Amino acid sequence: MATLRTPDVNQMLQAAQAQVQRNLRRAQRGLDILLARQEPPVGATPKDVIYSRGTLRLYRYRPMTDEVYRVPIVCVMSLVSKPWILDLTPGQSLIEYLLRQGFDVFMVDWGVPRPEDKGLRLEDYVLDFMPRCLEEVQKATGEPDYTLFGYCMGGLFGLMYKGLLHDAPVTNLVCAATPVDMEGMGLFQRWADPRFIDLDHLVDTVGNIPPDLMLRAFEMLRPVERWVSYVRLLDNLWDPMFVYGYRIMYKWTNEQIPFPGEAYRQFIRELMWQNKLMKGQMTVAGRRVDLSAVTCPVLHVMAEHDHIAPFAATRPLITLVGSEDKEDVVLKGGHVSLVAGKNAVGRAWPKMAEWLSVRST
Amino acid sequence: MPDSDGRSDVMQLWRDWLTASERQWNNFFNDAMGTDAFGRFMGGYLEAYSGIQRLLNQSMERYLNTFNLPTHSDIVELGERLRAVEERLASLESSFGNLAAAAGLPGGAPVTQIRPRRTRRPRTPTGDNA
Repeated sequence: MATLRTPDVNQMLQAAQAQVQRNLRRAQRGLDILLARQEPPVGATPKDVIYSRGTLRLYRYRPMTDEVYRVPIVCVMSLVSKPWILDLTPGQSLIEYLLRQGFDVFMVDWGVPRPEDKGLRLEDYVLDFMPRCLEEVQKATGEPDYTLFGYCMGGLFGLMYKGLLHDAPVTNLVCAATPVDMEGMGLFQRWADPRFIDLDHLVDTVGNIPPDLMLRAFEMLRPVERWVSYVRLLDNLWDPMFVYGYRIMYKWTNEQIPFPGEAYRQFIRELMWQNKLMKGQMTVAGRRVDLSAVTCPVLHVMAEHDHIAPFAATRPLITLVGSEDKEDVVLKGGHVSLVAGKNAVGRAWPKMAEWLSVRST
Repeated sequence: MPDSDGRSDVMQLWRDWLTASERQWNNFFNDAMGTDAFGRFMGGYLEAYSGIQRLLNQSMERYLNTFNLPTHSDIVELGERLRAVEERLASLESSFGNLAAAAGLPGGAPVTQIRPRRTRRPRTPTGDNA
């Protein structure tokens, strides 16, 4: 015969107390978000500005070891988002990781384009700003050569730079999620279809492409993600680590910056419409970008489920460069997982650091 | 996220459903947005967006002119001139630096004085520096 067990009152009280505490934490963290209190620090790794021009800043991060590898790393940012994605927050920062591994790290931050920057073209970035910054890096380190690291469009700048200036002393080129075959750009390519978009009218009217247009375009790639992320946030409001990570990524995603108008026109016309980089026909300031002349060691890290720079668009990069020492690494995860999050900390960063360490002496 | 004490969480089923639904809805919308019809709609939206922007700019410019206030294009023009001055200064600075270097004079010193030893070697598989 079954016996009825008396409920353990103490256990029930403890469970109720735990639920109350959890809900109090939820309420407190919810208020923190709503009132924008205790914003997580971003881009906090100590650094000095060693060169500036207009909105451009060249940073040198303060080394964290007494002895560094001879060849400095210069990170070149994309034109699409804020550079602190590479220096997210202490313990979750690629820059901090590289410094701790003994690298001397610099960053070219293009800044937030102002309305008068609407005329900046790809040649301004690749043939003027980058060489000038790299000259400053040479002065600061006393070393003639450097490693270029580019995330997303930053990788395109690295490729174009070396593809145009064949004698540039680039010891290594590291690209992360860098699209080269625009046929593989999925919805971005469809939306930029010349049959439907009047590119000249758009650029001539708005000058720089407004950040809200850029943000909406990115969001439309995963239209329900934002709403589901709110639901997940509600579900996990009690968890400080989840909320911390959520707030950082929310900030980065929403802090879009304008895209300089003329560079956008070139990007869409030359790359999206005609896929010229892939076909070896890309010209910048009348000079051909010859990727077969990129003969330095090249590492390309890609994400298999990248929805911004899809795998189909990034995959061919390694086949285009003329290097003998070249390697591509495909990791599971999305666009950001290469530079932030568990996948980055556990796999992508150690791989990059290991690959670079033997090529930076 | 499951409870920290590892109890089976009935909410986990709902969370799995949420993840699966998110993927399905995203795929559904992506399929819809990959059509020519949507491309045409996007083109129309951008056309309207830039048209409204142009109208707003023009009317704002007229109002500001009426009140004798600087317009957006005045400020952009000023910014462009400032940038040109900045560029000239940068190029002069660079020329002076090159001249100083050619003449063997101190100058053009980098802003940063950080000078770590650049002799680090990669670690060998045994953990020692090569």
